[in-house]
Amino acid sequence: MTDFRIIPGDIPLPLPTMGLEFMEPFFHGLLIVAWVVHILFINVLLGASLASVYFNSKGHKEKNPIYDRVAYLLTTPVTISENMGALWGVAPLLLVSILLTPLFYSSSIMISPHWLHIIYGNVVAFLLSYLYKYTWHTLEHRKTLHIFIGTVGVALFYTLPWAFMANVQLAMTPSTWTYTTHFWDALLRADTFFRLVHFYLATFAVTGVFMLVYGMYKRKSDNAEDREAGVVLTRTGKTWFIIPTVLNFFVGPLVLFSFPDYGIEAFFENGYFWGILLTVALALFSLYLLLKDFFNDDLPAKRVWTVVAVMVVAILSMASLRHGMRMGLVKPVLDASHAKTERFQRESLAAFEEAKNTPATPVATQANVHAGQSLAEKHGCLACHNADIKVVGPAYKDVAAKAYTADQIVELVKTPKPENWPGYMPMPPMPQVPAEDVKQIAEWINGLK
Amino acid sequence: MFDYPIFEMPFIGHRLLFAFDAILHVFISHGAAVGGSIILALTQWLAIKNNDHKLDALSYKILFTFFILATAVGALTGIGIWIHINIINPAAIGALLRVFFWKWFIEWIVFNAEMILLLWLFLIWKKHPLGTQGKKKVFNLVLSYAVASWLTMAIITAILGFMMTPGNWLKSYFPAEPDYMAALFNPSWIPSLGFRTFWSIAWAAAMAMLLTWFFTKKDLELRQKAMRLFGTVLLVCIPFFVLFGAWYYAQFPQAAKDLFWMGAITRRLAAHPEYATYLIVALSSMVLIGAVSLYTKPKHAPVFLAVMMLIGSMGLIGEFERVREFVRKPYIIYDYMYANGVRVADVPYLNKTGYLKHAAFVPPEFREVNEQNKLVAGKYLYQMQCRYCHTTNGINSVKARTAGLSEEAIYIRIGSLNSPATPFMPPFTGTDAERKALAAYLASLATHDKPALAYQKQLDEVKK
Ligand code: HEC
Ligand code: HEC
Repeated sequence: MTDFRIIPGDIPLPLPTMGLEFMEPFFHGLLIVAWVVHILFINVLLGASLASVYFNSKGHKEKNPIYDRVAYLLTTPVTISENMGALWGVAPLLLVSILLTPLFYSSSIMISPHWLHIIYGNVVAFLLSYLYKYTWHTLEHRKTLHIFIGTVGVALFYTLPWAFMANVQLAMTPSTWTYTTHFWDALLRADTFFRLVHFYLATFAVTGVFMLVYGMYKRKSDNAEDREAGVVLTRTGKTWFIIPTVLNFFVGPLVLFSFPDYGIEAFFENGYFWGILLTVALALFSLYLLLKDFFNDDLPAKRVWTVVAVMVVAILSMASLRHGMRMGLVKPVLDASHAKTERFQRESLAAFEEAKNTPATPVATQANVHAGQSLAEKHGCLACHNADIKVVGPAYKDVAAKAYTADQIVELVKTPKPENWPGYMPMPPMPQVPAEDVKQIAEWINGLK
Repeated sequence: MFDYPIFEMPFIGHRLLFAFDAILHVFISHGAAVGGSIILALTQWLAIKNNDHKLDALSYKILFTFFILATAVGALTGIGIWIHINIINPAAIGALLRVFFWKWFIEWIVFNAEMILLLWLFLIWKKHPLGTQGKKKVFNLVLSYAVASWLTMAIITAILGFMMTPGNWLKSYFPAEPDYMAALFNPSWIPSLGFRTFWSIAWAAAMAMLLTWFFTKKDLELRQKAMRLFGTVLLVCIPFFVLFGAWYYAQFPQAAKDLFWMGAITRRLAAHPEYATYLIVALSSMVLIGAVSLYTKPKHAPVFLAVMMLIGSMGLIGEFERVREFVRKPYIIYDYMYANGVRVADVPYLNKTGYLKHAAFVPPEFREVNEQNKLVAGKYLYQMQCRYCHTTNGINSVKARTAGLSEEAIYIRIGSLNSPATPFMPPFTGTDAERKALAAYLASLATHDKPALAYQKQLDEVKK
């Protein structure tokens, strides 16, 4: 059994299952699907924006308008996927926040303020991507500047997964938490590094498949330039899919075996390794389908859609096995967390009841107390003043020595004169205290010797 | 129970960090998305009805600006509100999510519709110019987009209203059992929704007027027409949001109303509530003078007036959000949870057994206060209970707030943080020994020549 140094507690409110048994498994299923959709959009965003800048500079260098056209065409999927990607990040965020509350919130805080990069970095990258897209024609003759804008935006987009991966990896591995873990600890670990590499490679592979589809449509366009651009997209799509997918066969095992041992054990015990075999088999099949037609620029629609369908199944299988790994890693901590929360609630209830049954005896109810003193208590004067000693404000005995009239004190409470008490911080004006009450307080103060 | 790691935001503090994102979001999404979509629907309707090509072209330019703002800044800072509160007050957002999960989920679905409609609308607009059959489709898209944006705001407003006026949402404290319907239909939902709806429209109209000024430099006839249109919208909305605002205010708990004037200015000026009135009157006159003069003399009014009107509106909106945040104090969820994440019902238990004892992310050697570790323990207590509203050296710095006070004085002062003198602060929670530790730490900040050294020495000793 692994030792967990830190067991956070959970939110003491029930899961919103509406009393339905199937709701919790449903939440998990929804999490897997929403997560996949989010990641796919992000993949296309990263891949297509990089490809756009790449073809833009290639077109500029080789003076080839077709490449420029490809680059421009790719800005539309960028716009769509950046918006949809952000949007579909919300559903997983919602679900993770209720299913893995203590783990995900803790890891988010550990990597803060860097976690905020996914907002502010994203806003800037978004604006740059719009600038890049909507200055296409204005900056036609200042290509270097235009490509520079695009490059900065893309570079910024590529830093966003760092924050994500550090967070997700940390949330999944509570056995690695220390009291001082922070962002760079999480980012610069081998497991996070391998997952990032795996993710970036998958990004190119997914964009490759996307280009196959996009190219297929453009090849059928009425516009001759778009038809040629479609051919370029199809060719690029094949390479972008094949090379990263092959590389990921090697990176995948590195990711798997860099998880903590107890997680790997649970993973194999629960049979999730079948998911790996299935994913690999499906990916190999897609590779075969594309290699067979590698030199055919006129890739038929049926072939394209088969690859898409096979890869969707492969990705869902991969997402499910990843979810299996995640749950295997966090389950012991979540169970301990729930038990701890329940115990806390039980004990807190006892103290709550006890406090309710023993009414406090404020000064006000004690017999021999001046009415002014209880009013001073009631209005919070005694937070800062004491009869005999200096607290925040002067001792009331020393105030009494100044022999103010009651009316003067009423005025001083409304608009204090800090200059009367050098060395003290200014008293906050308290106009909300009724003059009648202050008069009684004043009477009490002036009676102090 | 404090079960999260500690993230401190130096100098600007948590409140300003959060406010930056939240205010940006409110400006953009209320203006460019909610109000903006309604303004666009109106403009499109008029352009189609009168076959007005110039108005149509102007409305595309406005749409383009709103699109960039709403997608790149509005939507992301909206998600940002979540991300910020996740790290600032996880206990509170965790509780809100458990209570409002399904409403948020529905909101997300509507948000999807909103986004897809906006993208679709934006990407096909130019394919269907005025006078073609397709224009009708564009108009329907604009209209649906407006409905969807308004619905997302309607749901979020329920959650915001809940935080201030939760009503009888909790059927039982232990174990907690929420009444989901009561939470949704909290008393301030409908009035605050009406209030936000009308000022969103007015604010979007103000933005559109400024944009119009820039987009119609060469066409004063068009400027006159558009300014009159947007100006009418703005002026018509004002009485409505004032009315809804009054209804909304009536729902505040009395304690929140008492804090109203202090929230509107600073505590130093609490003796002069009239300053807040001056401020509001000044900002409102900026808006009104700008709007009326642009309306009456659209061809001659300088851009300065439009800018002034916009600044006035931003000031009013910012002021409103500031007051709304302030008067909720000392709570984050009224009567249920204090601003620092402590549940009100847990206070007796924590006072009895100790606050640090239950803090999962505090190393065990600091969970029990003693002479050797009290500065470090005190710092943990400060970070867990006070840093929501205070920083060490920056905005609302505790160092300044306790400057010159003896340890004894600080000890007495923090025994009644929630007293009527400072009702906006939650009480200190913990045992007497913990209160002493916090006082010792604060005193070391305020009076020690080298507070860092004393603190570091203790830390090193305990670590050994
Ligand atoms: C937040 C702390 C605080 C609270 C609460 C507070 N005081 Fe004071 N009081 C001070 C300080 C500091 C001074 C000295 C500096 C000054 O006068 O501004 C002071 C000074 C005074 C003086 C002397 C004024 C003079 O100019 O000589 C009087 C009288 C007084 N307080 C009465 C009250 C009464 C009555 C209340 C409750 C209604 C009250 N105070 C609440 C901090 C406080
Ligand atoms: C909900 C927000 C909030 C929290 C939490 C909070 N404070 Fe404050 N505190 C304030 C505000 C607002 C002020 C007033 C600042 C001003 O005068 O403008 C204040 C003022 C103070 C002052 C000066 C009060 C006076 O006498 O005038 C002290 C001392 C102080 N806080 C200590 C603490 C300590 C210690 C904690 C943690 C146990 C804490 N506060 C938690 C909001 C908060």
